[in-house]
Amino acid sequence: MTTLQFGEHFFRHEYGRLVAMLSRRVGMRHLETVEDAVQCALLAALESWTRRGIPENPSAWLFRVAHNHIMGELRQRARRDRLVARRGLEAVDATTTSATAAMVGEVHDDLLRMLFVCCDDSIPIESQLVIALKTLCGFDVREIAERLFTSEANVYKRLGRARRRLRELPIESDDLSAKQLASRLPAVQSILYLLFTEGYLSSNAKEAIRRELCDEAKRLASLLAEHPLGGTPETFALVALMHLHAARMTARQDASDGLLLLEEQDRASWDQREIQTGLAWLAKSARGEFFSRYHAEAGVAAEHCLAPSLEETRWDRIVECYALLEQLAPSAFHTLNRAVAVAQWRGPAHGLAVLEGLEPPSWLVGSFMWAAVLADLHRRCANHEIAERYREVALDSAPSTAVRDMLRRRLQTRSA
Amino acid sequence: MPKYLCLQRALPGGGQDDRKPSPTQMQEMYAKFNEWREKFRSNLTDIGGRLGAGRLVTTQPAPDGPLVEVKELVGGYMIVTAANMEEAIAVARECPGLVRPGSGVEVIEIHVP
Repeated sequence: MTTLQFGEHFFRHEYGRLVAMLSRRVGMRHLETVEDAVQCALLAALESWTRRGIPENPSAWLFRVAHNHIMGELRQRARRDRLVARRGLEAVDATTTSATAAMVGEVHDDLLRMLFVCCDDSIPIESQLVIALKTLCGFDVREIAERLFTSEANVYKRLGRARRRLRELPIESDDLSAKQLASRLPAVQSILYLLFTEGYLSSNAKEAIRRELCDEAKRLASLLAEHPLGGTPETFALVALMHLHAARMTARQDASDGLLLLEEQDRASWDQREIQTGLAWLAKSARGEFFSRYHAEAGVAAEHCLAPSLEETRWDRIVECYALLEQLAPSAFHTLNRAVAVAQWRGPAHGLAVLEGLEPPSWLVGSFMWAAVLADLHRRCANHEIAERYREVALDSAPSTAVRDMLRRRLQTRSA
Repeated sequence: MPKYLCLQRALPGGGQDDRKPSPTQMQEMYAKFNEWREKFRSNLTDIGGRLGAGRLVTTQPAPDGPLVEVKELVGGYMIVTAANMEEAIAVARECPGLVRPGSGVEVIEIHVP
């Protein structure tokens, strides 16, 4: 028997696809039943396919098994409580005939619809992220905890909050109108952005794990970009930003998962295909009146990708992008980034001048980034005592050994 | 070559990791199982399957209902062809998920006259 080679994430992506398709058919209030049924279908596949071979259409096979499982479960429940489950059953029966082997376009719509449903503004954003990872990406609680660098208990808590809210939603809200979809688009974009940055910036050292989150974000963002309602210039800029960052991801780590500074990175190892894809999306995003934060961030990433060396980077353009970003999404963090770019462009004293008079919020003061930038700029201005003080704070608050090692290299004193 | 009946048995006090596998883990299990089956292709005479409820048939009026002992203790079976007991044990031992905390395998030689 030939062993059909599935895609690398076949089971996980089938999970997301089936949960999205089936929960649309029976209603979001049955989400947990749907998830259980999909889990059972995958387990059944594991047993049946290894023994009897893979069916001609594995996706349709899984759909049928999961669907039957839900039907059985809902019928049983209907027997216990006829009144409550009747609507659910009617909804199921009405769609059974057209249910098998749904068209690809419809599948994509189901995944996106699920994403929009999860981005209900009454669900806290960290819960939105977790429910999306669970239902759309097919990660389980332990895997999510590992990827978000948090405890399983915390993931359960966030998941519970999202589930509770989704159960409470009125049945009509299962079908979002075009107007609702449009108004939720920014929330959907920001959840995809968050998903990407969780992977890109995570203090989790394992690159494979971090890359997986970035790939999921890219996959869902590309679906969004291809959809008539989601394909706006901001979405294109978001997709561009993801590709341009992903291009440099491997180069950011050395062989032993340590982090590398920009000047230490081997630019030849940047992924040219990702860069080209990112630039194409960026070009596509440059229409319409609205310049979004995603445009600004993609602009920064593009300048880095296009620069032949650290010295030849167009720091003036990067400064400009950060300035725009500060206007669009005021944050001391963006000002800090601009200060770094200004220091590269016009010298460390100018960089320090940007930060003068800035009252950073406590979360930033407590983070290693603030202290590290100040240590670096003061060091370069030869203010050694101040630099040393910030250096110690930065090393103390580094979230991981990889970050601490990188800071040590960058912030070592001149004489060393 | 002699044949061996392999019975998967649930062991008391096992099942430490009774949480459901994630889709990613299921895909890994799928790959491992296929590897194992390829490796021992010539030994695996009947890959068998999971066992359901059983009924005891005797000359005595039997109690109605499933034979509790079989249902609870034996999870699945397969038939392995091997040169000797040691080889049959090796095949069973390497089967993914078969020999682990909470589960063991009983390898029984089938005598053919």
